[in-house]
Amino acid sequence: MQLSSEILTAPADTMRDTGPHLFWSDKPQESLKNSINEFGQTTPILVQETTDGLEVIAGHARVSILREQGKPVLARLVEEADDVEKGLLYLADNAQRPLDDAMRFAALRYFRPLMDEKQLRSDILPRLGVKPKSKDAKLFAAWLDMADNWQAHLLAGRVPLAAGIVLGRMEEADRNAVEPLFANFAWSRSNGVNMLTWLFEAGKMANCSTADIMERAGVNEILRQGLSPKDCIARLNAAVKDTRYPELSALQEHFAKAAREITAGTRWRLNQPNNFETGGAEMTVQIKDADQLAKAVKDLETMAGVSTWETLWKLGGKDD
Amino acid sequence: MTNQTRLPQHLRKIAHVFVDESMQDSPIAQRVKARLEGTTQADIPWTVVAPGSDRLEFEQGDDQALYLKEYKGKFLRFCPGTRAYHCCGYRIIHIGENCPMACSYCILQAYFQDRVLKIWANQNDLFSELGDAFGADRNTRYRVGTGEFTDSLALEHLTGYSHDLVGFLNDHENVVLELKSKVVDLTWMDAAKRTDRVLPAWSLNAPFINEHEEFDVSTLRERLEAARTCAEAGFRVCLHFDPIIHYPGWREGYAEIIDMIFDYVKPENIAYMSLGSFRCMPQLTPIIADNFPDTTYIYNEFVPGLDGKARLLRPLRLEQFSFMVDRLRAHGMDRQLYFCMESTEVWNEVFGYAPKDFGGLGKRLMEQAFGD
Repeated sequence: MQLSSEILTAPADTMRDTGPHLFWSDKPQESLKNSINEFGQTTPILVQETTDGLEVIAGHARVSILREQGKPVLARLVEEADDVEKGLLYLADNAQRPLDDAMRFAALRYFRPLMDEKQLRSDILPRLGVKPKSKDAKLFAAWLDMADNWQAHLLAGRVPLAAGIVLGRMEEADRNAVEPLFANFAWSRSNGVNMLTWLFEAGKMANCSTADIMERAGVNEILRQGLSPKDCIARLNAAVKDTRYPELSALQEHFAKAAREITAGTRWRLNQPNNFETGGAEMTVQIKDADQLAKAVKDLETMAGVSTWETLWKLGGKDD
Repeated sequence: MTNQTRLPQHLRKIAHVFVDESMQDSPIAQRVKARLEGTTQADIPWTVVAPGSDRLEFEQGDDQALYLKEYKGKFLRFCPGTRAYHCCGYRIIHIGENCPMACSYCILQAYFQDRVLKIWANQNDLFSELGDAFGADRNTRYRVGTGEFTDSLALEHLTGYSHDLVGFLNDHENVVLELKSKVVDLTWMDAAKRTDRVLPAWSLNAPFINEHEEFDVSTLRERLEAARTCAEAGFRVCLHFDPIIHYPGWREGYAEIIDMIFDYVKPENIAYMSLGSFRCMPQLTPIIADNFPDTTYIYNEFVPGLDGKARLLRPLRLEQFSFMVDRLRAHGMDRQLYFCMESTEVWNEVFGYAPKDFGGLGKRLMEQAFGD
């Protein structure tokens, strides 16, 4: 493969700006349009001559804008680039772009059929800012083995990269059961991973399918309620967490009820600090002047006489 | 070929021996070589490790390597217990690292992610350090063991390490040595001059856990038969329920093994017995999930404990502990029972007292170990 040192000019219409090596070709950014409007094309694109004319190796967005404007394109000629080299040139030309996991994955999907796993790990991952022995490298490898429908969710940003491990551990039927959760919502990393992990682990513990666990947790009912994505995700997470940790959830509920009774009408808040590993509670109050301080002290005296403390002391113990 | 014997099951994956250049002529190296002779593993390769070599490269699938190493660190250590829970105060004699057996719950999977079984072959250095420590004040008592970073007896068939250690400690009456294992090898017994200074110990678990989560180990009956042999020879034994696992059917399982114990030994034969609920560093859980895909107990209700380790939710632990302690008490066990790394709350709830009520757990176990 060689790069010519000369710059040629050609009409945008004579260039073919499609191909799998243009793996991040999406709509041109407004800032690039503005820049070309103001200064014209500042850097040449890369093209290769083929029997069908010029093939764009890198610079799809510039070609697209210049075509719209009916302006010719400045290009540098690439000679004898094979598919791997085309992809590497595309990466090099886009080296300054901020990458997200979906973009990294799109690049890996392009290179995967062109080289062995070792080369993919040692040569391509570092170019994408991923250390070959990192957890992310392991996650990308897991995603490359995932079915196309799931890969599409990652590429669309609907499911976080970190979900790859738990999805990889699931049976196909379990993955099918959870897929509707990702059809309409874009899940944050923590929410998405927690949801899948809790469903998977609850199924393992109860020796039943993920679909059964979803039924027990009322997932499908929540999905049918037509809630906003934020509310729906929050409610789904709470319901599935209760199913994954039934004893802990029950303790937390009892604690919250007791705490409400004890602190009713005061600024005091009660918190269980260590998952009931020890008994008792943490008490906090926010005050900003002497009057509030005096009231908090008085409230504390009143609260000390509430019988509900006895319930709270015992939570997590044998006689709870 | 017809006269070749086979090594015990748990040693059959050893496919290579590495030995530090300085340890080639050590008694341990000579003994390993001699004990491999005439076995089906007599021809496994030996590689001499040059001084300054960083780490061994050994990656051969399921195979294991034995590494006879000159260890430069400390041999006598404190048990790495945390202050958040009551620690037994056991001292560790560090004789090697890693284990040839495979138990799904084992923390060594997280500590040592290779398949190299290390043995400290510079025994003279070890004995010298121990002699200095134990000989400094003969009135200071020590309760020591070798089963922290390895199984005390797993490699005994090849190395005879515990036999040597028992022999060395014969001259230190202020030391009780606990040999904690999941296999049966009683060859060390010949070396013991006093039966009251060695505590052979076996881990026990519910039969279901033994069958599904422990691999290449002796059966529960074999362990208890060995305990009986030791008791008949005058030794007291230790038994350890650690980790206790919360699985469907745990009541029946733990009831069965508790009852089985007393078919083999009497309460007075038992110096002490620990109970410890499964707990682990959070990073161990995905390792278990990868190494043992059929294991499900890791998906129970674990929460971060006061020491940062994942622990079963307290009410679930209390339920199991109470059940087991009640059953053990019905068999006549009492003073010998203790919790490994538990809170004052749990002690009080189950036993009705906490270590501070009897002067601390370390003191109690020292008394039990020395038969006070």
